[in-house]
Amino acid sequence: MSFEWPWQYNFPPFFTLQPNVDTRQKQLAAWCSLVLSYCRHRKLYTLDVLEAQESPMFNNKKIERKLSVEAIQVVFEELRKKGNLEWLDKNKTRCLIMWRRPEEWGKLIYQWVSKNGMVNSVFTLYELSNGDDTEKEEFHGLEDWMLLRSLQALQADGKAEIISMDDGKGVKFF
Amino acid sequence: MGNLFGKKKATRVTEQDRAVLQLKQQRDKLKQYQKRITFHVDKERQLAKQLLKDGKKEKALLLLKKKRYQDQLLNKTENQISNLERMVQDIEFAQIEIKVIEGLKVGNDCLKKMHEMLSIEDVEKIMDETHDAIEYQQQIDDMLAGSLTQEDEEAVLAELEAITQGDADLELPEVPEEELPEGPEQEPVREKERAKKKPEREMVAV
Repeated sequence: MSFEWPWQYNFPPFFTLQPNVDTRQKQLAAWCSLVLSYCRHRKLYTLDVLEAQESPMFNNKKIERKLSVEAIQVVFEELRKKGNLEWLDKNKTRCLIMWRRPEEWGKLIYQWVSKNGMVNSVFTLYELSNGDDTEKEEFHGLEDWMLLRSLQALQADGKAEIISMDDGKGVKFF
Repeated sequence: MGNLFGKKKATRVTEQDRAVLQLKQQRDKLKQYQKRITFHVDKERQLAKQLLKDGKKEKALLLLKKKRYQDQLLNKTENQISNLERMVQDIEFAQIEIKVIEGLKVGNDCLKKMHEMLSIEDVEKIMDETHDAIEYQQQIDDMLAGSLTQEDEEAVLAELEAITQGDADLELPEVPEEELPEGPEQEPVREKERAKKKPEREMVAV
């Protein structure tokens, strides 16, 4: 399935931050939704600003336009305010992107667990994100940090408990 | 399952859970190892093919030997994984068995307690007393029935019916008696008037 770009993506001014406050607001909103849906489509969980700039997300080769690093950071900052993004370093070069909130991931995982009668069992994190059993699930391939956060969200609800062992972590569902 | 909604601070992870987790972690490692070896084996097969094409039979043979060894490793890993998995399943099943026994025990205790509350002599006594009471009641009934004649009984029944019917009547809303007749009379008059008027208008229009 190919990714469906919004119409703005082929509109050159979209790649320059607009000075007018209202226009800029709209532009940023469009960029935010573009970033989230692109990352969801490609299943991206961590982004590097420089790498992202070269990727099709911010670089439209067809119209030879790309968003500047500063503008990307503005967009990312906007996403951070909305709670979809977290910077990994002080210089804001790498970030975590959450196109689905941890609680939602947790819900999906818990649904799978209870659907398959595996409540009250123990899992390793590797098993959940990379195991053969979860291959067809949406959370297959979920990055560890995201998985851990979703499980923490479940733990807060009393639906799971994270177990720490000397090497690696596990989780028990309730 | 009572603690599903209550927040318990004590951990709900048992020693067995930890054991299962450790086994599963070991299995995960083996699976990763398996992936690595499969990757190597595939690569070496490709390489051996290439070497054969290039006419380097000796080297190809050597590579195939290496690959063969890795295939054996792969088999061993497979066995180990299934061993681990069996172990996990055994533990899980043992846990279920413990729960079943616990459930049976609770049921058994409950039954015992209830039996303690009832002794057979008590039951016999109660049954006897009930029997006596029923007989006594019947005697009273007979006596009462004897003092009333057939006619009296019928009168009682009739009265009962009258009362129940009276109740039913009370529940009905009162019927308005005066206003009703006027309504329907007025309506037809108006309609007649309208019927008269209509042709007139039409005539005018024509």
